[in-house]
Amino acid sequence: MIENIRDLARKWLESKEVDAIFGLKEQDGGVAPYLFTGRVNGISELGKLTTSTQYRRLCYTCRPSKDNILSLMQRREPNMKIGIVARGCEERALVELAKRGQIDLEKIKIMGIACSQEEAKECKCERPYPNNLVIGERVEGVSGDENINALLSKSLPERLAFWRHELSKCIKCYGCRDACPMCFCKDCKMEQKIFTETGSLPPEIPMFLFIRFYHISERCIGCGECEKACPVDIPLLTIFRQLRRDMKDLFDYEAGIAVEQESPLLTTLDESPMRKEVTSGV
Amino acid sequence: MEYKNVLTTCPYCGCGCNFYLQVLDGKLIGILPCKSHPVSQGKLCIKGLNAGDFVTSKDRLTKPLIKRNGKFTDISWDEALFLVAKKLKEYKESYGPDSIAVLSSAKCTNEENYLMMKFARAVLGTNNVDHCARLCHASTVVGLVQSFGSGAMTNSIRELEDADCILVIGSNTPEQHPLIARYILRAKEKGAKIIVADPRSITLVQFADYHLRHRPGTDVALFNGMMNVILNEGLEDKEFIKERTEGIEELKEVVKKYTPEYVEQITGVPKDILVDAARTYAKAERASIIYSMGITQHTTGVDNVRSSANLAMLTGNLGKPSTGVNPLRGQVNVQGACDMGALPNVYSGYQNVVDEKAREKFGNAWKVKLPEKPGLTIIEMMNEAAKGNIKAMYIMGENPMVSDPDISHVKEGLEKLEFLVVQDIFLTETAQLADVVLPGACYAEKEGTFTSTERLVQMVRKAIEPPGESKADWEIICSLAKAMGSKEFEYVSPAEIMDEIASFTLSYGGMSYDRLQKGGLAWPCPSKEHPGTPYLHKEKFSRANGKGKFFGIEFKEPAELPDEEYPFILSTGRIIFHFHTGTMTRRTELLNKEVPTGYVEIAHIDAARLGIGAGEFVSVQTRRGQIKTKALITERVPEGMIFIPFHFAECAANVLTNPAFDPVAKIPEYKVCAARIEKVKVS
Amino acid sequence: MAEFEPKILAFCCNWCSYAGADLAGVSRLQYPPNIRIIRVMCSGRVEPEFVVKALSLRADGVLILGCHIGDCHYIYGNHRTKKRMAILERILGYLGIDPARVRLEWVSASEGARFAEVVRQFTEEIKKLGPNPLKEVRA
Ligand code: SF4
Ligand code: SF4
Ligand code: SF4
Ligand code: FES
Repeated sequence: MIENIRDLARKWLESKEVDAIFGLKEQDGGVAPYLFTGRVNGISELGKLTTSTQYRRLCYTCRPSKDNILSLMQRREPNMKIGIVARGCEERALVELAKRGQIDLEKIKIMGIACSQEEAKECKCERPYPNNLVIGERVEGVSGDENINALLSKSLPERLAFWRHELSKCIKCYGCRDACPMCFCKDCKMEQKIFTETGSLPPEIPMFLFIRFYHISERCIGCGECEKACPVDIPLLTIFRQLRRDMKDLFDYEAGIAVEQESPLLTTLDESPMRKEVTSGV
Repeated sequence: MEYKNVLTTCPYCGCGCNFYLQVLDGKLIGILPCKSHPVSQGKLCIKGLNAGDFVTSKDRLTKPLIKRNGKFTDISWDEALFLVAKKLKEYKESYGPDSIAVLSSAKCTNEENYLMMKFARAVLGTNNVDHCARLCHASTVVGLVQSFGSGAMTNSIRELEDADCILVIGSNTPEQHPLIARYILRAKEKGAKIIVADPRSITLVQFADYHLRHRPGTDVALFNGMMNVILNEGLEDKEFIKERTEGIEELKEVVKKYTPEYVEQITGVPKDILVDAARTYAKAERASIIYSMGITQHTTGVDNVRSSANLAMLTGNLGKPSTGVNPLRGQVNVQGACDMGALPNVYSGYQNVVDEKAREKFGNAWKVKLPEKPGLTIIEMMNEAAKGNIKAMYIMGENPMVSDPDISHVKEGLEKLEFLVVQDIFLTETAQLADVVLPGACYAEKEGTFTSTERLVQMVRKAIEPPGESKADWEIICSLAKAMGSKEFEYVSPAEIMDEIASFTLSYGGMSYDRLQKGGLAWPCPSKEHPGTPYLHKEKFSRANGKGKFFGIEFKEPAELPDEEYPFILSTGRIIFHFHTGTMTRRTELLNKEVPTGYVEIAHIDAARLGIGAGEFVSVQTRRGQIKTKALITERVPEGMIFIPFHFAECAANVLTNPAFDPVAKIPEYKVCAARIEKVKVS
Repeated sequence: MAEFEPKILAFCCNWCSYAGADLAGVSRLQYPPNIRIIRVMCSGRVEPEFVVKALSLRADGVLILGCHIGDCHYIYGNHRTKKRMAILERILGYLGIDPARVRLEWVSASEGARFAEVVRQFTEEIKKLGPNPLKEVRA
């Protein structure tokens, strides 16, 4: 498969369909995102273009500027056409970023690749393929029900005790936020004193992480980067996964599928009515 | 457009996390965690994730500076080097080499530390070279060498995950070494028992099975108490003791009287808890001890360290995975700076300067006659400077004006110097006192290696160009050495320096950039084929006879105890959001937002008694000085104790601390001194 | 033991609910004294973070009162409120905080009696639920 990706990347670059390919590069005994440019050495570097389960997504938010790497690139060279090797979650991130005015999809050509069954299992990914599938075979999604069911089977006091334990581990690294493609606010509420105490460990429970649970609720594309970034293994994804379901349930909405589909939180009840009356998740 | 990621090692603590520096068209735009790194595994703490901020700070030094009439003005590199070389030569000739002292840096690379000690010894001709390890783990280096023969973490970080019991003493791991705390929590999830011994109720206590809240400075008694229980109940590892150690009788003799009752009197730890904790530790299949500055920064630092070694040997918890005695080193390269011999008594690889063979080996290689007398330690340097015996100092990447105990005394010493050169990336509190300031490059702008707390030597890679005219520290040292006429500093790259290090230093013998580019190597790594050593002392200890040594150690009180005039015990330390003297973290937006300035932690009951309200200004006084800061009322400190983080120059804890030091390791007692606290009346 | 007297915070929109509360007062309608009112311009101003912060700061219950759908002074403000609160309730549930501690109701300027009734009912309900468990978490 990797040969197909390299070949296609070469073709795109040589035919000038794109000016650069954004993908993973083998380096220093690992892999890291890299921009393979159309210049001669860029093309010859394509031998190092690779995929890896480590970085399934490439377009991270850069701090301290708080811009997505793609928006930084596009702002720098607005006319550059970038090809990007994208798995399902990456494509969903791109769609959601475009929807929210962060990137210009017109200038991006997606080389969609499918994840293998194992890869999908590792992530418990419900949609291990992009809409624009170009390379690879589409496999069925895997359900992440276990964790969710385990949580939902608990009583309210048990859930509180569970989260109290988990959230007490938090060392306020903001790694979950930093890893999330959807966290690009310049003025993050998680940093603001009026919302959550600053300088204390563990951070205010549950306020600190609630901010992200709520803010990302309707835009989460389920990539799992937040949970993977957490140094103390807090099961953040359990909540985000469930919220993705809730969005379907409440608003018939799914993030990351189509740019035209507007966020239900930005529309009126007339434009996108709620499917159910306000019900609790209990 | 060019976008790349450059893998490097985090410049803060000793965990040795790796991350990528994201570079867009030559500009640093962010930090990306590295998921293939064995320790960090794609996770970082808040400092690591924000380690790009200070690099691009507009406060960075970009030109050499000289002080004329009390004001700094720019000068060229040529002038600066010429001047510094001339001055240093003058002092060397007129007052002798020992009138000069050098401070190397745990923030700089191995290569730079090696060069710095070579510069001091071969060019200046003095052994007066030291660095801040003196202030954090000097007692580890001394103590563990006496017990085991090697002064470093015995096991590797990831092994912690599989321990059955972890004793954390004097380490606020979640805040100081967050990525090591990760493995403690993971061990806990797998069923390990966690024992936390700390006067403060640190966040880890919430996950601990036992919290031994002993009175600050009573660690030896606590260890002796645990060993008393273990010996009484026959829980010691008799075979290990017989085969691998010596001196058990001496230990038994001393420990006899430390019954749980007696230890309760000294430490305040209820005897039942002590007994349970001792049993838990002794019965565990694999038990690890983790300690840090809470143990080392005492006048009894060496005793504390050897006591932890006693406990581990008594139960046979050495030379196996997931066991050991594991000092967590604070600074990114404090292990490396020690390994490189940036210490007054040893060359690289802890080869002693009084050992004639070692002296000859280095002397021949460097083509000079090397000085025999061990040099001065940091605190002695400051004392001698104050007395006028040290005339000139060259300080690289350290900030004693915030980090050292009894700052007023340090200031006196530095001001008394006739000539002070400071090489740093910012105009620190110390640099402000300098006659000449040389602008260095930071970790993102140069190549080299750091050695993490688990002895893992890892690459630091250059991602961007240093700002303005600033230069990598290794280049500056080389230029200066050449300006002083030395021919032994003709390196073209750090890789060459590493080759020289490897050729003189057995534990680094098999290291080279070719190998390190592919991943870190843990020393000892004596040959090109050697894979490195994750845990030490497998078959035998590194002492000459191969045996571990028990020491019978009596409990001694700290140098200064609370009394009527100064009724509180003052302890100092770090917090997760800042680092050391704050030169880097306080130039990082997010970290400043979290904690903009210092404070003093005080227990509710004490605050109520003294009428101190939350956030009110208080004055904290000791026999050395006084500071004004805000009160943080908390349950974290017990009654009678106050705690101040030392990062903040405007309310510097080290104005207060006691420079009384351990007689052998010369480490100051940062963790205990007597203090008074009162509300500041608003006039 | 004295009966549990909950602390309840109510966000009332300026144009309808606050006026409704006023009317209840002027009409001397009886309602429990457990409630503290914060006036906001529109129920759409109430961020879910406000609600969680109130709970975090030891409120036992939080009421959000706005104009009836179609009557919002800012036309669609309360549409947003309704959607947001739906999500909020779900998250609270997952975290183990009873969503019943938070209630969204529409009260118009003329509904003084309804205001009093909503407050009465909600206070009763919170009394039944008992003290906010977050108090203990944050102790
Ligand atoms: S899974 Fe986590 S990182 Fe990914 S979009 Fe959702 S919240 Fe963000
Ligand atoms: S990544 Fe984990 S530890 Fe860091 S802020 Fe998020 S939840 Fe807390
Ligand atoms: S834990 Fe230490 S090494 Fe890791 S990111 Fe934080 S400061 Fe850097
Ligand atoms: S003004 Fe009343 S809800 Fe908007």
